[in-house]
Amino acid sequence: MLRRAQCLLRMHSSTGRQSLCAAQHVPAALHRHYSADEANRDEKQNPNAKRAGTGGSKSLPAVRNVFATAQDKTKDTYLTMVEIFGERDVHRRNHVEFIYAALKHMPDFGVENDLEVYKALINVMPKGKFIPTNLFQAEFMHYPKQQQCIIDLLEQMEDFGVMPDYEMEAMLLNVFGNKGHPLRKYWRMMYWMPKFKNLSPWPLPNPVPDDTLEIAKLAVERMCTVDLRSKINVFETKELKDAVDETWIVSGMSPEQSKLLREHSRQKALYIEGPFHIWIRNRRINYFTLRADADAEFLAQLDERQLDEDDVSNIEVPFFGRPPPRRHNQLGKLRSVHQQDDGTIFAICATGTSTKDSLLSWIRLLEANGNPSIGEVPVLFRFTSTVPAKSEEIEGPTSVPATSSDSPSRSRKEDEPSVS
Amino acid sequence: MYNLLRQGQRLGCWMPAAQQMHTTAVQRTFWEREKKSGYKTKLPEPSKKQLIMDGLRDLKEEIKLWRKEVTEHLESDPILVFRPGETDVVFDFKAPDVLDKWTVTTDADHGEGKSTAALELSAAGAGLFHGEVNSNHTKDGIIKRTGYANIRTKRVRKSFKRESTYDWTQYNMLIMKVRGDGRSYLINLHTEGYFDLMWNDIYHYVLYTRGGPHWQIAKIPFSKFFLSSKGRVQDRQGAIPLNRVTHFGFSVAAKKGMDGPFGLEIDYVGLEYDPSHREEFAYEMYQTPKYIVAT
Repeated sequence: MLRRAQCLLRMHSSTGRQSLCAAQHVPAALHRHYSADEANRDEKQNPNAKRAGTGGSKSLPAVRNVFATAQDKTKDTYLTMVEIFGERDVHRRNHVEFIYAALKHMPDFGVENDLEVYKALINVMPKGKFIPTNLFQAEFMHYPKQQQCIIDLLEQMEDFGVMPDYEMEAMLLNVFGNKGHPLRKYWRMMYWMPKFKNLSPWPLPNPVPDDTLEIAKLAVERMCTVDLRSKINVFETKELKDAVDETWIVSGMSPEQSKLLREHSRQKALYIEGPFHIWIRNRRINYFTLRADADAEFLAQLDERQLDEDDVSNIEVPFFGRPPPRRHNQLGKLRSVHQQDDGTIFAICATGTSTKDSLLSWIRLLEANGNPSIGEVPVLFRFTSTVPAKSEEIEGPTSVPATSSDSPSRSRKEDEPSVS
Repeated sequence: MYNLLRQGQRLGCWMPAAQQMHTTAVQRTFWEREKKSGYKTKLPEPSKKQLIMDGLRDLKEEIKLWRKEVTEHLESDPILVFRPGETDVVFDFKAPDVLDKWTVTTDADHGEGKSTAALELSAAGAGLFHGEVNSNHTKDGIIKRTGYANIRTKRVRKSFKRESTYDWTQYNMLIMKVRGDGRSYLINLHTEGYFDLMWNDIYHYVLYTRGGPHWQIAKIPFSKFFLSSKGRVQDRQGAIPLNRVTHFGFSVAAKKGMDGPFGLEIDYVGLEYDPSHREEFAYEMYQTPKYIVAT
């Protein structure tokens, strides 16, 4: 009740601005329709708020949108306003408009993912009044505006991925009866939403944490699920002596990748490529890869070993001469998952600043942490970005070569070897 | 129905004020005039001479196609064997002029949004569906939600521009080699029917992408696909009729604050028969009460 008193005070304190508000919105109030757009936002409001502005213009109702004018945009205030509306008078006039206004301002209050709030809004509807009493009422959508309003509410829940619960079903049954259209929508939601909720093979926390480091960890972990032996390391550039940037580096590498790196020819360069992006729910993280060009010789050799079993033109008979080589008897290296057709991937990282210096630190940290062979291989930076300005920014102010203009979407630049 | 609407408009002429008060949306749900439901882009018609010239030029190719069809029919050598574990590639992005077979659409096409998208060949030689989805739109009071990009194959056809369908009844798995960006994409299998009610039948499923530099092979059973029409999941569900697939496509949306760039690299889309997968339809089919379904 204390929070309610505060809220009431706030609502009354802002009445001084009403006359001004009313003068501004007189033209909008002339033709009244309840579409949900920005222009006539102040029109659909709580009509039970104090009416003012009757002096100058011809007694047009000037009402305020309490959700737009609320100063303290929290869940508590939101629920209090809904509570006040419910208790203000018996009839709860214009509750449909109230619910629409409330729905629209949900993201401002940060309550769009909260089931409790949606329930509070449904609770505004009177119980038992909209239940059809005969067949015709049931068939012709009894109280269509009210039903459509709650359908829109359920649709908004669906859009934000909020799953209803059984209490909501009971509430809807009390309001619209078992023939109500919102009920049908509810049943559909309860059929489909649980099926899709946990479908992703890479589950993520909901909502994802706000901390960039945590998101970067999630991102690198997700990308490393390709190899189950991958290890995620979080380095601090402070560990190095002369690092310019002080930041974190999330690096993902598996023992197999270390082995590939050890066996990598010292003559062939490694590339640090990026920034590419990965989405973790609604967050985007830039990442970089350490890779080399595909080992064409090895891949071609694999192709050779794959005998075409359908080819019957040249069958070797094992009784004469030497037996035909069989795949299982052959000794040779198996292809690793990191040896892709378009390159061998050795490591993935995300850094706090995504700068060239932090990537340099990453290479030095990798070298210090069990991959001494990096020191003997030339490492090149190759920055690609959908935004050319971004790659220039990463590259630093020194010696920025012109971007190739023919492919603006994937401009690619190469730098001189930076690590030797 | 349409007459009624027209009458309503005539009434509006008598009473201008009444027209102002008309706030309900006009619903032309009774029948559809054309397949695009009002979203048909009106392109200028070429001249008669041009039409004849184009027709004659196409005729050569069409006859070639027709001859191929006839020889195939006479040879009568269709693949009837179920070959478990073998992937038959349907849409290969390594093939020449593959990009002509796809159509890219976004919400910006009809001035309803600001998303951009393109389908190009990537550095790895695969198809790259990339762009930027944007959920902002002109607030005209009609459009509520925007922000999508979509690619779709052109309608499969026989010679002389006759429409036909894919026949995938031998297979039960969809195989895709893709490299995504962590977003989830929607796989669309259009099964356009003859009647207007079935023009917008699309079977959907989600393609979750891992993200990262490694390619990923997604294997999705056809039994998981569910029916929807015009973006609404239907109450009367059923397994996809694999002999009536007309288009194939991917969609991406800017839902839940995922506005921004996207990129999906597709190497190939193929089909496979997996004998261990016996499921016909993944969703339980409840007996629903009367007059509730599809209302």
